Amino acid sequence: MTAAVTDTAGKPGSKGFSIRAIMREAGIGLALIGLIIVFSLASEHFLTANNITNILTQITINLILAVGMTFVILIGGIDLSVGSVLALAAVVAGKAISMPGLGPAEAIALAVLAAMVAGTLCGILNGVVSAWWGLPSFIITLGMLNIARGAALQISDARTIYSFPVEFNNFGSLTVWGLPVVFLVALGLALVAWLVLSRTVFGRLIYGLGNSEEAVRLAGHSVFWLKVAAFTICGFTAGIAAIIYMARLNIASPIAGSGFELNAIAAVIIGGTSLSGGRGSVLGTLLGAFIIGVLANGLILLGLSDFMRQMITGVVIIVAVILDHYRAKLTKG
Amino acid sequence: MDSSAVKIAPQSPVENASSQVSSLLVVKDIRKSFGGVKALRGVTFDLRPGEVHALVGENGAGKSTLIKILSGSFPADSGEIRLENAAYAPAGPRDAKAKGLQVVHQEFNLLPHLSVAENISFEALPRNRFGFLDKTRMNARARQALDAIGLSDVDVKSPVKDLGIAHRQLVEIARALQSESRILILDEPTATLTDRETERLFDIVRSIQAKGVAVVFVSHHLNEVFEICDRVTVLRSGETIITEDIADTSPDRVVAHMVGRRLAAEMAQKVDHDHIGDSALRLDCLQVPQSPHSDGVSFDLHYGEILGIAGLVGAGRTEILRTIFGLQKPVSGQMLREGAVTEITGPDKAISAGIGFVTEDRKDEGLILDMSIAANSSLAALDQVSSNGFLLGGRERNLAEELGAGLNLKCGTVKDAASSLSGGNQQKVVLAKWLARQPKVLLLDEPTRGVDVGAKAEIYAILREQAAKGVALLVVSSELPELITLCDRILVLADHKIQGELHHTEFSEEKILRLAYRREEEGTEE
Repeated sequence: MTAAVTDTAGKPGSKGFSIRAIMREAGIGLALIGLIIVFSLASEHFLTANNITNILTQITINLILAVGMTFVILIGGIDLSVGSVLALAAVVAGKAISMPGLGPAEAIALAVLAAMVAGTLCGILNGVVSAWWGLPSFIITLGMLNIARGAALQISDARTIYSFPVEFNNFGSLTVWGLPVVFLVALGLALVAWLVLSRTVFGRLIYGLGNSEEAVRLAGHSVFWLKVAAFTICGFTAGIAAIIYMARLNIASPIAGSGFELNAIAAVIIGGTSLSGGRGSVLGTLLGAFIIGVLANGLILLGLSDFMRQMITGVVIIVAVILDHYRAKLTKG
Repeated sequence: MDSSAVKIAPQSPVENASSQVSSLLVVKDIRKSFGGVKALRGVTFDLRPGEVHALVGENGAGKSTLIKILSGSFPADSGEIRLENAAYAPAGPRDAKAKGLQVVHQEFNLLPHLSVAENISFEALPRNRFGFLDKTRMNARARQALDAIGLSDVDVKSPVKDLGIAHRQLVEIARALQSESRILILDEPTATLTDRETERLFDIVRSIQAKGVAVVFVSHHLNEVFEICDRVTVLRSGETIITEDIADTSPDRVVAHMVGRRLAAEMAQKVDHDHIGDSALRLDCLQVPQSPHSDGVSFDLHYGEILGIAGLVGAGRTEILRTIFGLQKPVSGQMLREGAVTEITGPDKAISAGIGFVTEDRKDEGLILDMSIAANSSLAALDQVSSNGFLLGGRERNLAEELGAGLNLKCGTVKDAASSLSGGNQQKVVLAKWLARQPKVLLLDEPTRGVDVGAKAEIYAILREQAAKGVALLVVSSELPELITLCDRILVLADHKIQGELHHTEFSEEKILRLAYRREEEGTEE
């Protein structure tokens, strides 16, 4: 398990600036391994099959949101709305899945589609509004945070929707060789995102946009559509996260996902992606999500309160950014 | 300690200097390394009160490092600096200022949203007896500082962002001069100035020189060095090559010291003007949005031709290029590409019409500095190095290496970040980005700004080669010698109007300037 982590960390996440990228991710990987070692020594329950399954399940939703968030942060933006969009997508999907007269398969398919469409639409709206008028995405997505939350409450009448088909509920706790299927979905998404960012023209332009919008525009590329695409991807992942959320908890609550956006941002930042855009990778985000998840799980195993956990996570975020500051200095020519 | 054993004295330049005037500042054999890179390998020079001392050298010769050491940004590794016979080792920029050394940097350090007065007083904002900001005193102080350098036309209350780039530079100088200083370092002060503004700056320099202030003048423009300076120190690869009295040397000699080889012939190499073909681009009364009148601009650009646009800052040169490239919409008039009316609504349309644009601002617009040379080279030609949207790393590297070889690009590997290159090589990467598309029309805005002499000659050769291949080149430049060396034809612009057209047989700086100033003279005569 630990070996696998170092292995992937050694591979260049983004070919363009490989050495720096490797330095970046290797450092985060080492921090994660350090955490794992400390917790394994401190608690015999930590490195058990059961607990590992637990951790993987717990980080799934944050990982999915953080993967989408990586695109937005890479272009120098931020999406504060993903938690609320998750709730809206969940409520819309909840309405769809409990429509009368549908068989379980149809209901599930409709729900998945509805969540993805709802999330994607919110993302498009975020992107179009902020890119068209050139407004800071911080403000626009803060607006969307309220709009989506309000819409979720309105549509659901502020009531939690439940009683989904059994097949759907089972999916949330399904495992393959001890690995939760929902986590595999998240990992698959991360893999696709990594490929897109490191191997495609689109990914190259996302990095370019975060570094110099003018240079990308002058090279003939549409800055507008690139921005819209990044936010759309982020909204789409919020839709996927909504489905996972429903399958895991077997409810669709209009107050779901509150504060999730901050955890997702934290994972991206701990993963070494620069808040000003242009630098970072999905691999880093994956490691960042792991660090948050392992920390939460380990600290609780050590008997610390949830409040202590929150404080320590906060410290880790700040330390990660400070370390990144020095790493950037070290690796600069 | 033991480093003294291996010191190699650079051709003892100081001892050679003629007179015995006591020095204000003596720099002796200072060295500085960053990691493994030796930025300074023994720099020696001295500064006398009341002299203007030029510091010249190609990019990477160590001028910036030297200035940063003098201004307290970081200490030297070894060597000695004495200010008025006392050891000088500033603890930081503040300390350096307190000791009377002021630097006007190449990059602006002004706060754009604050007023001119606030900027000028920013280091020590005056307070009244209640501890509040004393605006009256602040504005008066700023007025005095501006008047002292003849900037009486600038309102101290206007925000800096409303000033032109040239005025910002002068405000920066006013700020540096308001406190008592003994040494003023001007780092590339004329890079953004037009000739007239440069003259104004020189007047200012002469007046402070008369007060006994020593001025260090860092510049790529040797004609300016020879106009204003008393002595010149040449740096090459982190070493002092020589210090000479201006009266005893010549620009050719200085260039030879700078590059270690004679380039004059290469620079002056004349183009043959016989390869000019059909019209590639025609502007027909094109009025840019910034133009105050509706006359518009009309001209023809031919294949194989290098057409220059001269003019003062604000004459509308860059605006024409930006309009052609679709970055802004013309108010009226039209554009014809190979005789057919073409509407270019954005850079993508311009590029598919075969047009490339090397912008003035290399660091923000031309390059993505953190990305590799290869990624920068392919930025406008990603379709050539990808298949179905996936990048082909090998093909991208090949493209960059091929282009780099053609442009004599000096770099480690094409995977290195563009930021690791010198100014001249960065500019070659910008050229590579456009040449990758094999453009038919290439627009260039200040193609050699911040580029050293050696690389300048190489860039001229590249541009001539493109013209010889039949590419149509449109060059905007503030450096008249550059336009005169490079172009087949020069249009002179003033107030968004073409004041005249000069053929290469009739080029002279005087003629160009006369046309460039014509509008204003008319205006003042009225």
